[in-house]
Formats: sequence, C-alpha cells, structure tokens
Amino acid sequence: MTRYLFRRLFLMAFVLLALSILAFSLGYLFPGDVVQNLSGLRQIDENQRQQLIGYYHLDQNILQQYMAFLSRIAQGDWGLSFASQQPLLQEIKLLLPATLELASYALLLSFIVGIPLGIVAAFKPDSLVGKSISAIAMVGYSLPIFWWGLLLIMFFSLALGWLPSAGRIGVLYEIPHSSGFMLYDILQANINYRREALYNAMLHLLLPTIVLATFPTTVMVRFVRDAMLNVWEQNYIKTARAKGLNRGQVLYRHGLRNALLPVIRQIGLQFSTLITLAMLTEVIFSWPGIGRWLIDSIYQRNYPAIQAGLLVISTMVITVNMLTEILHAFFNPLARRG
Amino acid sequence: MSKFRLYLEENNRSPVKQLWREFKRQHSAMTGLVLFVSFFVISLLAPFFTPHDPYLQVDDLLLLPPSWNAAGLVQYPFGTDDLGRDLLSRMIKGTSYTFGFALITVAGALLMGLVLGALAGMSKGVKSSVFNHILDLALTIPSLLLAIIIVAIIGPGLLNTTWAIMLALLPQFVHGIRNAIDEELKQDYVIAYRLDGANNWHVLTRLILPNIWEKLTIMATMAISTAILDIAALGFLGFGAQAPLSEWGAMISDSLDLIYLAPSSVAIPGLLILTAVLSVNLVGDGLKTAILKRRQN
Repeated sequence: MTRYLFRRLFLMAFVLLALSILAFSLGYLFPGDVVQNLSGLRQIDENQRQQLIGYYHLDQNILQQYMAFLSRIAQGDWGLSFASQQPLLQEIKLLLPATLELASYALLLSFIVGIPLGIVAAFKPDSLVGKSISAIAMVGYSLPIFWWGLLLIMFFSLALGWLPSAGRIGVLYEIPHSSGFMLYDILQANINYRREALYNAMLHLLLPTIVLATFPTTVMVRFVRDAMLNVWEQNYIKTARAKGLNRGQVLYRHGLRNALLPVIRQIGLQFSTLITLAMLTEVIFSWPGIGRWLIDSIYQRNYPAIQAGLLVISTMVITVNMLTEILHAFFNPLARRG
Repeated sequence: MSKFRLYLEENNRSPVKQLWREFKRQHSAMTGLVLFVSFFVISLLAPFFTPHDPYLQVDDLLLLPPSWNAAGLVQYPFGTDDLGRDLLSRMIKGTSYTFGFALITVAGALLMGLVLGALAGMSKGVKSSVFNHILDLALTIPSLLLAIIIVAIIGPGLLNTTWAIMLALLPQFVHGIRNAIDEELKQDYVIAYRLDGANNWHVLTRLILPNIWEKLTIMATMAISTAILDIAALGFLGFGAQAPLSEWGAMISDSLDLIYLAPSSVAIPGLLILTAVLSVNLVGDGLKTAILKRRQN
C-alpha cells in the first residue's frame, strides 16, 4: 500500500507540474499583450510596463519566467481580472463554494437514486421494471443538459410557477457571508428568518440539482447494473446460492460488496463530468458559481480569469480523482497493482 | 465462467456476418441504426431536402406557430422564427452542422488517435511512460472545458469548435487504442508471428488492427455522442456556430428570448439533439452487446 501511495502521489505531482506548464503557457498563447495577460491590468503606461517586465522576469529566459510564475501562484498573487480589476484569487474564493455546493448535492443525489435503481434493474433485467429503468437511463444519458434545464424551467417555473428559475436565494433574504455554502451559512447565521430563508434556498437548489444530477444518475444506473450482472455470473455467487443462502442474503453479503466496490472509483470519474456539466447548469440557472464566471470570462476575453479558472478546476478534478483512486485501492487490494 | 457450448450447426460465417446477426436481433439497436442512417443521409443531402431556403427571411410570416396550431400554415410544419425563416428547413440544414460535423470530428480524432496510439502502444520505456503521464493529464481535464479553452485561444466559430472538440476527444482515443494494442501484444499469436520474422509494421497491420476494430467502433460511437452534445453545447453558449448558421444548439440559444412566445422553437431542436444522441447510443449499446455475444459463441 505504501509503495502504491508513493507512486500515486508522484504521478499526481507530475500531473500537477504538467498542468502548471499548460497554465503558464496559456498566458503567452492567448491573443493580446503578454504583460496585460499576466497582470490583468488594462491600462499600462511605459513606466509601469518596465516595472512589470521586471516583476514577471519577462526580460529573462523562459525557465526563470516559469519559476517566477510558480512562486507567484504559491504566494497567492494570481493577477487581476480584466473585467472587475479585482484580485482573481479573491473572486474565485467567493465563487467556488457555490459550484461545490451544487455539484456535491447532485453527486449525492445521483448515488442515492442511481445505485438502488441499478440494483433493481440488474435483479430482474428482463422484467418490465428492469427494462423501463434501462430505457429511462438510456434517454437520460442522451439528454442535452442545457435543453433539459430549459425544459424544466419552462414547465416548473414558467407554466406552473412552483419553483424559481434563477439564483441561489430570493433577493428578500440577506444572508451574511461566512463559508460561501448557502445552507450552512443560513444555519449559522444569527437571523430571525432562518426557516423561511432555508426553505427558499432549498427551492432554488432543487431544479439545478435535478438537472445536474440527471447525467451522473443515468451513468450510475448503467454502471451498477452492468457491474451487478457481471458479478451475478461469477462462481462464488453460485456457491453461495448452493450453500443455501436466499437471494437477499447472497445479494447483500456477496453481490453488493463486489459490485459496488468500483463505484468508489466512479466518484472521481464522475466529478470531472460533473464540473463540466455544472458550467452549463450554472449558465442556465444564473447560479453564481465558477462555471458561469468562467464562461462570462470567455465572452469578455478575460484571459487572466480563464487561466486561473483552468488552474483551479483542473487541480480540483485531479485531486478528487487521485483521492478516490487511493480510496479505491485502500478497499480493493487488487487495484494496487499496475 | 465456463458455459455449455452446443454446436448444433456449423457456423463458418465471417465475423462481420456473425456480428450483424447478433446486432439484428436487438430491436432497440435496429431502431437506433435506422435513425442514425437517416440522420446521416439528411446531413449529406440537406441542401436538396429543405422545402424553403433556410436563410430566406419572409417579412410577412414572422413567428408563425407550428402547423398543428390553428394559426399555423401547412407549408411551414414547425413554423418560422422571429426573422421569418422556416424552422423545418433550418433544422434539416442544422443536421449537417450538428450531426455531420460530429461525424467529421470523430473521424479526424480517430485517425489522429490511431497514429498516436499506435506509436505509443508499440514503443516501450521512458518515452512511453512520459507520454502516458501527459495523457493522464489530458484525460483528467473535462473535454468540454478543454474545448472551451481551445476556443478561447483560437476564437469562436463552427470550424474552430470542430478542431477544439477533435483535440479534446483525442486523449481518450489515444488512451483506448494504446490499451487495446497493449492487450493484443500479449497474445500468443503475436509472439508466434514475431518468431516467424514479422516486424512491428506487419504485426500492427496484419494482426492488431483487424483485432481491435471492434473496440474502435465502440469507442467511435461513444465519441460521436459526446461530439454531438459538445458541438450543441458550445453552439448554445455562443462559442460554436455563429449567427446565421442553423446549428441546433445555436438555434436553441437564438430562440431563448422567445421562450414565452414560441416554446416549440426551443423544444424541437432539443428534441432533435436528443434523438440524434439517442440513436448513436442505441447503436453503440447494440454493438457492444453483439460483440459480447459473438465472442461468447
């Protein structure tokens, strides 16, 4: 295990290094002036330019520029946003919790709904229930998420008027910012309209979570179903049945434990898709997260912001990926090889 | 697990015929194939199909409702948009953009992936290990994010989107092809062929490629559905096909501000995307099952 851990961590360090090189080169690949792209300053006079060239080591060779870039990232000087002229790291710190909140609820929902449905579908694959679950999963798997979100808004917000279509919470409620996670902030805050605010925030959360959870849920259903069907064919299941265990016991003691093990790995794999889909969901539901901010940055040609967004999102994805791999190897000794 | 094998009839048909036989048995897969082929034909022949010019703006017929509405016209089955352009014609034309360009994208990515994957799969040592780690990085960055960043560098437009998605799809192709080649290289018949004096090129073209094409097809179908969704998503965000082009995702975002007035102009292009992706996925699933069954027999 220790050896495996070291290899994984080494790989992660390498991947992060490669990522930093990619992010570093973006500053030069983007159209426009390099000094502007690096600093995020809009107007630069000649005097300031000379200063910045010195600060970014632009007069030195590329390796030294890269080292300077790394030390800036480590110190938290990520440059300014073209659009707001605010420090990028500060902006990201405010936006990231919103995305994480949405994504984690969606991931949770996809597990709660997806795993049982997958098991049911695998238990009786040829029955009406099993077939309809597979069919629905197939359709959900093919849904263009932005259209699905619009459809739900059209139905629940415009036609029925049950649910709000945009934002995290109604404008009537003022929630003091502490962690950035809305539900936690509301519970924490010292306000007398806590219950109403919580209810309102939940309503706002409902549609985006369902939309975002659709794809991971269907992937989960398909994955668990295939894994279960595969495990159900194994000899140890036959042995267990021959021992005299009933179906429920076999399912619980032998089936689930083997079939659900790879699910841990799915968390990591799903997370990357989830973040991508979260970008689209945030655009549709005007959710003030990092995805919408990143897409707005592209509209505004806000190159420093795109660079910072890539860095943050990829680091997050890589870390979650690596953690789930390690967790999976921790539970499954077979995965430690290779 | 070993199963009883009954050899009731002599089965000397070619692998492709066996595959087709297994594929044919699945109704859902056949439905998918019919849809897929019709989308393909429409995307090829779109200019000859359209009942009206998709870019012609008829001033008298702005925002005509679909023909099932009392106010609709039978000449315009899906109605017209806010500039008086026929929606049906635009959707037919859009097939070549969304569906056709997805096919081109995947074909390009497959070709590049085959070359790079073969190079990676046949090489050993440090070169291959460094290559792998770079691939791992590219695989962890979400494909849509990668595409968005590439578009941010080279600028928006349908052709640029194609390039971006091609590059974003490439890592998974290279990875899959490399693994498939790796698996093949371990087979005994490869070693036997090598002992006969075959070089790398012979092994690759005569043994490996014929044996991995099934995996390639499955990979390609999965990639086509991703490509359709990505092209539509980028079009929807405004990074893909630009204003007059009737790409499906762009059509949805165009009619977004008319969502109260004409909900069908948002609903129908989305339904088309769904159908196109569904057809590809059905074919992919059917192929997967058919290959599994063929291998078992």
